[in-house]
Amino acid sequence: MKIPRIVRSPYAGFLLFSAVLAFLPPFLTNEYYLNLLIFIGIHAIIAIGLDLLLGYTGQISLGHAAFFGLGAYITGVLSAKASWPPIAGLVVALVGVGILAYIIGIPTLKLHGHYLAMATLGFGIIVQIFFKELDFLTGGPSGLVGIEDMTIFGYAFDSDLKYYYLVCVSLLLTLLLSINVVRSRVGRALRAIHGSEVASSVLGVNVSRYKVGIFVLSAVYAALAGWLYSHYMTFVSPSSFGFMFSIKLVTMVVIGSLGSIWGAIFGAALLTSMPEFLHVFANYETTVFGFILVTVMVFMPRGLLRGLEDMIIRVFKSLSDHETVKEP
Amino acid sequence: MTLSQQILQYLITGVTVGTIYALIGMGFNIIYNSTEIINFAQGEFVMLGGLLTVSSMQVLHLPLPFAALVAVIGVALIGTLLNVAAIRPVKDPNPITLIIITIGASIFIRGISSLIWGKDPYPIPAFSGEDPIHFFGAVIQPQSLWVMGIALVIVLGFRQFFGKTITGKAMMASAFQPRAAKLVGIDTRFMVLISFALSGLVGAAAGIVIAPMSMTQYDIGVMMGLKGFCAAIIGGLGHFWGVVVGGIALGVLESLGAGLISSGYKDAIAFGILLLMLFFRPQGILGRTKGDRV
Amino acid sequence: MSHTIVLNTVGLSKDFGGVKALRELDLEVRERLIQAVIGPNGAGKTTLFNVISGVIAPTGGTVFFKGEEITDLPTHRIAHRGLTRTFQNLQLFADMTVLENVMVGMHHKSRGGFFASAIKAPWVIAEERRVRDESMEWLRFVGMEEHSATVAGSLPFGNQRILELARGLASRPELLMLDEPAAGLNTRETQDLAQLIIRIKESGVTVLLVEHDMELVMSVSDHVTVIDQGHKIAEGEPDSVRNDENVLKAYLGEE
Repeated sequence: MKIPRIVRSPYAGFLLFSAVLAFLPPFLTNEYYLNLLIFIGIHAIIAIGLDLLLGYTGQISLGHAAFFGLGAYITGVLSAKASWPPIAGLVVALVGVGILAYIIGIPTLKLHGHYLAMATLGFGIIVQIFFKELDFLTGGPSGLVGIEDMTIFGYAFDSDLKYYYLVCVSLLLTLLLSINVVRSRVGRALRAIHGSEVASSVLGVNVSRYKVGIFVLSAVYAALAGWLYSHYMTFVSPSSFGFMFSIKLVTMVVIGSLGSIWGAIFGAALLTSMPEFLHVFANYETTVFGFILVTVMVFMPRGLLRGLEDMIIRVFKSLSDHETVKEP
Repeated sequence: MTLSQQILQYLITGVTVGTIYALIGMGFNIIYNSTEIINFAQGEFVMLGGLLTVSSMQVLHLPLPFAALVAVIGVALIGTLLNVAAIRPVKDPNPITLIIITIGASIFIRGISSLIWGKDPYPIPAFSGEDPIHFFGAVIQPQSLWVMGIALVIVLGFRQFFGKTITGKAMMASAFQPRAAKLVGIDTRFMVLISFALSGLVGAAAGIVIAPMSMTQYDIGVMMGLKGFCAAIIGGLGHFWGVVVGGIALGVLESLGAGLISSGYKDAIAFGILLLMLFFRPQGILGRTKGDRV
Repeated sequence: MSHTIVLNTVGLSKDFGGVKALRELDLEVRERLIQAVIGPNGAGKTTLFNVISGVIAPTGGTVFFKGEEITDLPTHRIAHRGLTRTFQNLQLFADMTVLENVMVGMHHKSRGGFFASAIKAPWVIAEERRVRDESMEWLRFVGMEEHSATVAGSLPFGNQRILELARGLASRPELLMLDEPAAGLNTRETQDLAQLIIRIKESGVTVLLVEHDMELVMSVSDHVTVIDQGHKIAEGEPDSVRNDENVLKAYLGEE
């Protein structure tokens, strides 16, 4: 029996989501939750970009923390050392990271599977080492202080509430852009590349251009998130941008559900707030994280969102199957 | 020390460390050859080898050689446990899922280790004392000789095992042609299990033999694993002698770079070499290009 | 009636480190005909397709398409010029729907890059509708329009083959290369396939076909080329080739 799938316009979901975000703050019982939501939003921006790369196009990156860090450090250094306004820092960060991602992307995306994973991982580690070693610029291992608070054309985002809305607007813009791209000729080409690179190319898809392009886009998203992070914390340090954070980002996307933008946001929310739940476990936090990771991937490899979807469908199926057998 | 003596010293360090990288990389190769999986938890085998030895000595009061033996067997068992608990139940073994699972497993193992042993470093006594041997103006730690000697034994042992014994050849057969192997009665699942055990064994051995020189600690596994994997890729993923060449090359270049250029950038140099290999010769020094069949 | 040559290879060779898959192969394909390449197993037929479509590079020789050399062109550029192919071991986009697969087929015959798609420019919306409508037309042409929303990976095998064909057609090629399209099909499905191939030819597309199924080859082909061990050993009309001595020797082995 076929289960009718209610195919809603994606904009309905988008508008609903925007409304929820807009009207959420008054319901929060504690200022602290605002802070958490800001981080969820920042991570979600990276996760969406990474999902476009990993979930839709099938290219793995274990080094995306580097682009996040580069965005944060570029605007941070320009702000702290040269007093550049944040908006200028944003432009330089986006363009700079974009160019770097393009240069590194061309040779990297020629690789596949484990080789691609290792190349991105290596790149991520190298970038973090530069954060630590270029201390005249970055402040070294102890971090960079003195980053200005966020002001855009004179308007100061001097409260968590204001910053929350800034992050929301950024997230919603990236979300809208990504929804449009995914449901377009470009989105189809990306998914086709994931399905079969050779078939895509015999149909005229310039596979390497798309792969590099989406790699650059996902890097630019991460840089945007880095900019938001930098001027919120007004302090950045290399330890936030290492291999483990890259893994956490991939986990957000995979556990959320690959190839689903909403899944990426869900995964970001889950993984960003998880340490708060795991605080109860204190020292066990890493162990529990690793355990959850393995268990979810073994039993729900399509991710939690899809896994839940599948479960709901199975429940509906068995219910409707029962209906056809009338009990006396 | 003159410059040439310094360089000699860096070479000695480099070969020692490189041998460790080669051993760790061999662990990657063994599993990769039997099942095309990259086991990102390999580095944790190295860490566990050292820490289990420490515990065997402190808690069970065993002398070093027996403690090491206990540790090696223990890690081999942990390897099989990893295979059974985290790899076998996977229904759709695509690369991304498996990478995440093995990374998750390594995080889990690391977490447990931090609970058992805490976050402090532990020493293991050098196998035969610490009197340095003088060699053309440079010094060789006796432990270095142990590293190279034990590595040589392991390498030759594996050569014998994979090349001459029935089990070893069966493992290679399972890797090349799993269906054909099953048809002639080889239990491919068991072969994979053995590969995880052997991988644990060689990882633990590497960890034990280097621990006297560099301490052992709950989080050394991450970098060790990554560098070992680099060694395998540089030499040619899956290639037996390749990982030996790759490991030593990596160790030497890293050591020379750290000594002559800057020690802060040591890891950057290692991964930089990896990137160059991946961009210009991804099949590695000794590997051959594979054609894709469409 | 003379048909111009649309594709030809000159002295095409491919070495796989010791195995000579193609040896100095000269092939001519004339437009708006159905041409078949046959030969015993290992003769090099799929390698030939891979080299022509740019998937692998030859070790020697040249390939000309519509009079211009395409030997060193990347695959997608060859596709832009009007040459596409299907695959012996099916390369469907398994997680995409039937309709989406065909829409990808129209990729280089449609426009809509990243920026225009991101902001949903009105012309992009109109272009999407055009692509969707035309793709449905192609599904109707091959008789699969009712499966348009089905996920490609869940289709029965015969339908998957037809889908890959429809996808190739959607790119409006001048030359369509079919690599063992009948492999795995039963008699009835093969007959339907034969009818479809003839309809494709009638719509003006040149077809180059690699096949093992002799009935299919004999029933639809205007011209047959036989290769063995990477080299051409016979060619001509189906009947003349069928009785050629060299061909019989190649298939049956030396007596």
